[in-house]
Amino acid sequence: MSQQSLTLPAPGAAADKKRRLLELLGAASIAATFIFLVLAQPADITNGVGSASTLVALGGFLLGAILLILGVLPTLPTSTLVLIPVALVLNIALGQIMGTTGLPFYFDAIGTVLIAVLAGPAAGAATGALSSIVWSFFNPTVLPFAAGAALIGFLAGMAARYGLFRRFYLAPVAGFATGIIAGVVSAPIAAFVFGGTSGAGTGAIVSAFRAMGDTLLAAITKQALISDPMDKAIVFAIAALLVYALPRRATFRFPFVRRFNVLAGKDPAAAS
Amino acid sequence: MLSRLNPLTTLAASGAAIALTMAASNWPVSVAVAAAVLAAGTGAGVMRRVLAASAVILLPLWFSLLVLHGLFFPEGRIVLAGWGPARITVEGLAFALEMGTRTTACVLVLLLFSFVVNVADLVAMMTTRRIPPQFGYVLASTLTLAPAITDQLSRIRQAQEARGLVLGGSLLQRVAAARLQMVPLVLALIQEAAERAHALDARGFSSPGPRSTYREVADSRGQRTFRRAVLGLAAAAVILRLCASWFGVPVLPSLSAGNA
Repeated sequence: MSQQSLTLPAPGAAADKKRRLLELLGAASIAATFIFLVLAQPADITNGVGSASTLVALGGFLLGAILLILGVLPTLPTSTLVLIPVALVLNIALGQIMGTTGLPFYFDAIGTVLIAVLAGPAAGAATGALSSIVWSFFNPTVLPFAAGAALIGFLAGMAARYGLFRRFYLAPVAGFATGIIAGVVSAPIAAFVFGGTSGAGTGAIVSAFRAMGDTLLAAITKQALISDPMDKAIVFAIAALLVYALPRRATFRFPFVRRFNVLAGKDPAAAS
Repeated sequence: MLSRLNPLTTLAASGAAIALTMAASNWPVSVAVAAAVLAAGTGAGVMRRVLAASAVILLPLWFSLLVLHGLFFPEGRIVLAGWGPARITVEGLAFALEMGTRTTACVLVLLLFSFVVNVADLVAMMTTRRIPPQFGYVLASTLTLAPAITDQLSRIRQAQEARGLVLGGSLLQRVAAARLQMVPLVLALIQEAAERAHALDARGFSSPGPRSTYREVADSRGQRTFRRAVLGLAAAAVILRLCASWFGVPVLPSLSAGNA
């Protein structure tokens, strides 16, 4: 590294362009992987383990998630960045609290949705992907789902941007729609990488569809379409309740909330 | 011994082991990788923790795989036993074994990595490798915050239980109790995060430009060569497998045998 100047370089347009490119490449990698898996319909993984499709699914989704993180992270303001570790721990901790209620869902995206509502789709996508990567230090099986988690964060941010978190009853509707998309995208990972699901309840649903003669991918997709929309509807509702419970001076600190009027109501600073 | 290696070396070795296991997709290879992890973990003295952490993940997975594929495998031809729609087939059991051993090997590899790696060293290495510093911050901060937040949560719960909060009861009561714990937790966390943002900004965290690190992480020419070799081997295995299934090139049997 040569010594050029002792002053800090101005953040150039070239760096911004590079980051934009990384974001686009990341999104393209995830989309292309999914389209490949759907079009190629890797005939039936049950006739041989379909190792090539597994490698494509794993590689394409992980690469996409990493590119998204590299592209988005440097653009986030520090106030948003410090929230990401909090969101990651919330994903784990709140998931455990909800686990004690005995309901048959995962609830592992509450922190991600919370960040997406406060800081927008890009921050939500980065948080989702990072959540899977950091969580894999404790539980490696969540790592392959990084792209699905990024998609959930992105869609939650888009829902917040277009005002679906202004009314409490709209948030679960947005969650339900997000769950459908996220379930369809995550099902190939569960099928190709793990050959099934690890939950007892979800496993029973997959078994039922298999007993009716479905292929493994079809059975897991149908199971995802049953569990995921319900799960995400509840997660979005919980995130909405948490955001409403926060004091306004905390939520209006976020430029995204002010700019798109994410939560109906006035900025306390502007009102006084 | 493992924890004294450069974190990039253990990371590269773990990544390569997973790529090879996935590319081979062959249960003897998976078992060999798992055995290698067990041997390395015993050498590093973390075997008990790796096994405990992996049991929590792998037991439900194996149970689910065995029930799902062991009983319901419509593609199966050789039926060992059957009760109505549920049939135990040889193909189903073989598929469960294949998938289960493959996932077991990968989970063991990654858990061994996370137990032997020194996170501070890993973050320091990332800083010098042009990975955005924000990534290192999020990684290190989450791993240190997790126990602190668990503590905070249990303090909130104890305080509320001292005031008469009942955690059991009907579904509505349990949801209400969960809300009573979550709202103060989230509120406190967001407040603290804002303070941390000021502290980081005051130290110029968000300004661009090159960074250096105080932490010196040992590296050697041997480790650099090893990293290149294992990553090259993993890439070759992946390419070979893709070629084999798309263009019908036969996979050399020696490849799947020689990587454990």
